[in-house]
Amino acid sequence: MVLSVTAELQSDVATTYDVLSWELELAGARCIFLDTLIGKLLTTVAPEHREQLLEGVQAVDLLSQHLTGLSTFARQLSQTVVAQEPVGVSAALKSITLGALADRMTTSFGGVEAGFNDGDDAGDLDLF
Amino acid sequence: MTAPRILIADSDRAVSEMLQIRLEVAGYHPLSARSGVGALEVIRNMRPAVFVLDRGIPEMDAFDLLTILQKDRSRPPCPTVLIGKRLGIEEIKRAATLGVRTCMVKPFSGADLLERVAKILKPAPHGGCVSHGLAPPPARASTEFFI
Repeated sequence: MVLSVTAELQSDVATTYDVLSWELELAGARCIFLDTLIGKLLTTVAPEHREQLLEGVQAVDLLSQHLTGLSTFARQLSQTVVAQEPVGVSAALKSITLGALADRMTTSFGGVEAGFNDGDDAGDLDLF
Repeated sequence: MTAPRILIADSDRAVSEMLQIRLEVAGYHPLSARSGVGALEVIRNMRPAVFVLDRGIPEMDAFDLLTILQKDRSRPPCPTVLIGKRLGIEEIKRAATLGVRTCMVKPFSGADLLERVAKILKPAPHGGCVSHGLAPPPARASTEFFI
């Protein structure tokens, strides 16, 4: 539960793990989506490219399981920690470079969102 | 055959988006609402097969919303999964009287919810939906309750 919503956003240990577990679960779900998409692509590519794509599917599948495992870990911790020690989360939130993620987590901690979203331009890759 | 529509009513974006992705990949047609008023509108217009409702949905108390739905005789009752951070035994009992089939305490995984939705939609021998009235809780029941 959020302890206070001030300029310096504070939470407690359990809520921090809770928010983290949802984000890891969301990242895992996005991997599952990607895995499904690549799986569909497999049927359309030329046989000589299939092996490479298959490696991609396996990597994404592994990543998905990795995230799910971490999410389960964080979820278990959120249910077992008893210390209500306040945690200052503002600095950690400011260190997140993906705006939509920082925004979502900020609102989960009871803060005010800055207005980022996961639109088409979110996570754009700047190659220059 | 059209995919069953599942409405997620939760103001937490991470929860909502995660569940929508998991449901879509599983072959369902996810719908979402961020408030109680929005959920009512979606239910009336889209008639979801399953309604996943967060206890802490803004703009309307979840139990008030369930009461409105229960009194509405113009459409068949929509099986509901109630989710929430803290669900007391009295709340679970009250939810059961208002058409809630399953309660899940947050946090839970997307896989857990998919399992519950699949069980609700599983056709019963008599042609209706499976009733979970006497179903035993699963092994990891510490955060989930069948009503």
